[in-house]
Amino acid sequence: MVQSSAHSGPPLPPSALAGFMAAVLAVILMAILSYQAQTRSVAAADAVTQGVELIVQIQNLLSSAKDAETGQRGFLLAGDEAYLEPFTSGKAAINGELDQMTRLTGQSPEQRQRVDQLRGLISAKLDELQSTITLKRAGKSEAALAIVRTDRGKILMDKIRVLVIDIENTDRTELAQRQQEWQRTAILSTRITWIGSIVLLVLIGAAAALVSRDYRARQLQSWLRTGQMGLSERIQGDQTLDSLGENVVSYLAHYLGAQVGAIYIAEGPDRFRRFAGYALPAQLPNETLRRGDSLIGQAVKDNRLLHLTDVPPDYTLPVNSSIGKSSPREILIAPASIDRTVHAVVELGFLGRTDDSQQQLLALLSTMIAVAVRSSKDRTRLEELLQETQRQAEELQTQQEELRVNNEELEEQSRALKVSHAQLESQQAELEQTNSQLEEQTRLLEHQKDELSKQRGLLGERAADLQRANLYKSQFLANMSHELRTPLNSTLILAKLLADNKDGNLTEQQVKFARTITTAGNDLLALINDVLDLSKIEAGKIDLKPEVVRLAKMVDEQSRLFQPLAEKRGIKFSATVLPATPETIETDPQRLGQILKNLCSNAVKFTEVGEVSLLVSATAESLSFTVTDTGVGIPENQHKNIFEAFQQADGSIHRKFGGTGLGLSISRDLAHRLGGQITLQSTPGKGSTFTLTLPHVLPTAKAGEPALDETGIRAAALAAPLAPHQRRIAPAQIEDDRAQLASNARVILIVEDDVAFAGILRDLAHELGFQCIITHTAGEGLLAATQFKPSAILLDINLPDHSGLGVLEQLKRNPETRHIPVHVASIADHAHGALELGAMGFAQKPVTREQLIEALGRIETKLAQRVRRVLVVEDDERQRESIRELLGMADLQITTVASAGKALEALRTVTFDCMVMDLSLPDFSGFELLERMQEQDGVSVPPVIVYTGRALSPDDEQKLRRFSKSIILKDARSPERLLDEVTLFLHQVEATLPADRQRMLKVARDQDSAFEGRRILVVEDDVRNVFALTSLLEPKGARIQIARNGREALDALLAATGREADRIDLVLMDVMMPEMDGLTAMREIRKRPEWKKLPIVALTAKAMQDDLEACMDAGANDYIAKPLDVEKLLSLIRVWMPK
Amino acid sequence: MDAEIDPTSATHGQRWEIEFRLLIEAIYQVYHYDFRGYAAASLKRRLRTALVNFECRSLSQIQDRLINEPGFFGLLLNFLTVPVSEMFRDPGYFRALREQVVPLLRTYPSIKIWVAGCSTGEEVYSLAILLREEGLLERALIYATDINPQTLAKAQAGVYDVDRIAAFTDSHQRSGARSSLSDYYVAAYGRAVFDKSLRRRIVFSDHSLATDSVFAEVQLISCRNVLIYFNRDLQDRALGLFREALCRKGFLGIGSKESLRFSSEAGAFDDFVPQERIFQKRDPA
Repeated sequence: MVQSSAHSGPPLPPSALAGFMAAVLAVILMAILSYQAQTRSVAAADAVTQGVELIVQIQNLLSSAKDAETGQRGFLLAGDEAYLEPFTSGKAAINGELDQMTRLTGQSPEQRQRVDQLRGLISAKLDELQSTITLKRAGKSEAALAIVRTDRGKILMDKIRVLVIDIENTDRTELAQRQQEWQRTAILSTRITWIGSIVLLVLIGAAAALVSRDYRARQLQSWLRTGQMGLSERIQGDQTLDSLGENVVSYLAHYLGAQVGAIYIAEGPDRFRRFAGYALPAQLPNETLRRGDSLIGQAVKDNRLLHLTDVPPDYTLPVNSSIGKSSPREILIAPASIDRTVHAVVELGFLGRTDDSQQQLLALLSTMIAVAVRSSKDRTRLEELLQETQRQAEELQTQQEELRVNNEELEEQSRALKVSHAQLESQQAELEQTNSQLEEQTRLLEHQKDELSKQRGLLGERAADLQRANLYKSQFLANMSHELRTPLNSTLILAKLLADNKDGNLTEQQVKFARTITTAGNDLLALINDVLDLSKIEAGKIDLKPEVVRLAKMVDEQSRLFQPLAEKRGIKFSATVLPATPETIETDPQRLGQILKNLCSNAVKFTEVGEVSLLVSATAESLSFTVTDTGVGIPENQHKNIFEAFQQADGSIHRKFGGTGLGLSISRDLAHRLGGQITLQSTPGKGSTFTLTLPHVLPTAKAGEPALDETGIRAAALAAPLAPHQRRIAPAQIEDDRAQLASNARVILIVEDDVAFAGILRDLAHELGFQCIITHTAGEGLLAATQFKPSAILLDINLPDHSGLGVLEQLKRNPETRHIPVHVASIADHAHGALELGAMGFAQKPVTREQLIEALGRIETKLAQRVRRVLVVEDDERQRESIRELLGMADLQITTVASAGKALEALRTVTFDCMVMDLSLPDFSGFELLERMQEQDGVSVPPVIVYTGRALSPDDEQKLRRFSKSIILKDARSPERLLDEVTLFLHQVEATLPADRQRMLKVARDQDSAFEGRRILVVEDDVRNVFALTSLLEPKGARIQIARNGREALDALLAATGREADRIDLVLMDVMMPEMDGLTAMREIRKRPEWKKLPIVALTAKAMQDDLEACMDAGANDYIAKPLDVEKLLSLIRVWMPK
Repeated sequence: MDAEIDPTSATHGQRWEIEFRLLIEAIYQVYHYDFRGYAAASLKRRLRTALVNFECRSLSQIQDRLINEPGFFGLLLNFLTVPVSEMFRDPGYFRALREQVVPLLRTYPSIKIWVAGCSTGEEVYSLAILLREEGLLERALIYATDINPQTLAKAQAGVYDVDRIAAFTDSHQRSGARSSLSDYYVAAYGRAVFDKSLRRRIVFSDHSLATDSVFAEVQLISCRNVLIYFNRDLQDRALGLFREALCRKGFLGIGSKESLRFSSEAGAFDDFVPQERIFQKRDPA
């Protein structure tokens, strides 16, 4: 698999090496052969040249000889010396030519011999010629001629010719031979070249084939290795079986180019389950398979890779896409096994053809898959076992605990048994003694009991009789009055009709009669009502509804009623409450009114001259209502009777004055029911004084139902919050950049309904390098803000659909948008509201260009702000420096100040992200600093961490919690926590809440008048909840008072009673508290009548119905379950807050 | 045990199972006590004891009495809960609290502690004594909650058999005590009553980890040998409540045989003192 390393082995595979060596040898051989051929060829060519030259020389020699002869002959004939010239030149040339010939024939001795012969002949010839010439010159022409005639010259010449021809012929033969030889060597050389080239070509071809085969093998290896590596990466780590399968099959499909795949896991010796797939259709049969059935089963059984071509179209592994569906053309099924055990099977479907490499890889990978599956299985099992062990440990522990309990119980019982045994024995003796005594007494008692029961029976009968009689009476009266009223009613109406005399056909007398009938009828009706009333009171059937009644109001009512009546009768009526009287009384106001009305009306009725007065006074135990008149008075003996029904002083009086005469009886009975009485002092002729005395508090008062009307109140819903209703933002009426927003651009959202002004803003923003989105309504603005997430927003307040302040509030409430700086512009001065809601700036229209530029500039600074600032307020220098050291980190700017004054100053000038402060400061206390920070305008309040060495009382802590979420006491481990908290705040600042977080907590001093100025008592001991409630309710304008338990709540309520300014409007009551829990507290509150109507909302962590009912039973008006749902709590408070 | 209600035979076993579920459901429906998430094996064992005690032949009889007999549930509840506890149980746990958790608690101006499943209150008083010794009790508040009002009443009374005090004292000393346990109780008539001033800083309340929600933010929760009676889902719910109730980096102590490892909430806590099963809430930031 792995090639031996390049350093140790041969540089090339042996076959390639042999090829290369052969090539080198061939080239060397070819070079030698070519060289030799070449050399021979050159030699042959030289020889040819020599041959040719020789022939030329021979001709030259011959011609020179001839020239010499010609010249001699001319001279001999003419005797002119001039003819000798060819002879001398020929003679001169001949020697040189002969030398040449000797050189040219150097290699052939035969030829040389001939040349030497030739040389001899020529020189003989020349000598002959010379001799003739010499003779001629000497004038012996005949001698010369004689010599010529001897033919010696001719014979010489012929010999020369023959020799020359001989030489030439020999030379020509040699030349032909040499030429032939040269040709042969040339052909040989060409052949060598051709053969060499062919051999080389063959070698190159072989080498190429070898290299290519090697390369392919290498590529396959690398592909296989990459595949293995890829898979091993995918199966790394502690994966669950499912994710492992998912990874494996998707990787394989991807790497091998399969279109569909599945992986099965062995779940028993013979069962396989598909646990992951690649591009598998959702519903596929054969989730589990058995060994041996189906192809997969077969592959498992044989434990070898199955390659399937020409897959039937209904094969269970179809290739699906949203467009169509087809069957794969080929299928590979690979069992993954280790040690002959198959752990998983991979099935892959291909639309195209597969080749060996894929199978090879699959075979390689299957082992890895098997290992991974096995180890994952093992891991899962291990995990299960661990869990099981834990479960068992717990189970064991429960058993131990139970055993302990049983043990303890047994011990307890045996102890108790021992004790009781001893006691029993001693008691037994006593018992026996007393038993006899008792028996005696029992007999006696029995006798008495008989007597008693007899008498009780009698009494019971009587009582029953009485009750029956009374019931009959009441029923009779009720029936009677109804029976009486019905006819009386028609009588009254008809009599009235008659008295009106519309037709005018009645005499005056008749009209008067009719009037009398009406009056009498009305009297009768009043009488019937009174009788009924009286009987009800006597039967105890009236319900008293006690509540706190303001006396002044009561008296005013009477005065209003009787003043006019008295004036009409010409008498005076006065009503007074004495100064030392308490303001209120707790009684049934309706009944009290009824009594007073009756007394006053009697007094007015019976007084002809003088005055009637109502006076209210008090003693420690009771209140007195005194009605004094200057009327007829009542004789002493009548004093008692007048209170009895139908027994007035003068039976005729009521006829004179009107009325039924039952009023006093009713009044007296009512007074009794109210726990008081009516007394009378009177002298006939001088007048009477009726005094009603009532206790301050109705003695029979029971805890009643909360008096508030519950119907329909719960249905009261919150006003629907302003929400971006539109789904789409309408295009702006002027062009903006929304279509071409650059991804990294700073975008400003302009919410402005004035198109012209929006245009100005847009141009200005463009000038300063912002991109713009423009919307014209509040709804669109909100939508655009959430959709485009602009870097900043310019917001108008007067928008056509909603107020811009609403938009601002929504923006600041939505966690997605609250970090966006908003700059507000408006015609009206909304600066306070806007800034309070978290706007970063405000400009009043008309706005100058400079103001706008400044606003945009501020936005720019804000956007650029990255440095986070921490303010440390600490008077001790060493501490200050150590905190600075502790907190020192990159891009964190720490400002340290030593006094509260300096701190305020720093806060005014710079916006801090977080503040760490000590409580003891030289100028004023930390508390004061915090309060001033909240109050002062222009001071932005960062999250505060109180870091103090001072021990805090619970009250202090409560106070601090309003400003600071985090309080750290200086101690050994404090620095660690301080660092923690600061980091947390800074992190929050960065992640979610840029800068003005605290201001945002103040959210809306919104239109919610339900909270404005209302005082809410929060009874809760959990600081987290107190903080949450305070920061939720205070910004809405509510004043929050905190009590940490039921007892403090009662104290707070008590302290607030009677002081209108501190009146508590609503109580939020936690249930689980120290000292006095919420349920007890509510019961205590409801015991006091003046707090009966006080709305209480219980906060409970308990969820079951009966827990909630317990709250209601204890006197809560409503409840809300923890953890608190803010919106629900707010609506509950709105519902219950008295209007 | 009565041969007729032998739960080992199959049909009886099934019947027993049905009756068991019905009974648990009846308790939930009528009394709103949710035992449905409790570990069944333990509950069943305890119900078997109850059967013997109430001389009932079947759980259906118990169910009948439960629904129709006022006051019966109170008696049964004593069998369903396992009120076992002792002071300074596992002294090592308290030592770890004292040495490693308390120094961090010291940095909070007021300290809230929740003893969930306080049973008869021994652990609550142990914590109170520990805090007093460390000078923290006056600014601490301990919420002691349990579902059984009777054991809660016992806890509130703070009266224990004097025979147990010896063992308590020993454990107290081994927890790194700075004072004598006898400083905190008065013994008479075979009973020891614990100092009322300890109780001033303890709120006893009825609270169910199965149905109720978080009521306060606390820095330390001690809930030992309570989770063992719950099944996994209910354990997860309880641990979820603890996570919610704890402040940033608050502490959670559980029983020596309990583990967070398999809970879905395991990721919310870090080991703090692993050998004493004290965990710290993980900072999400």
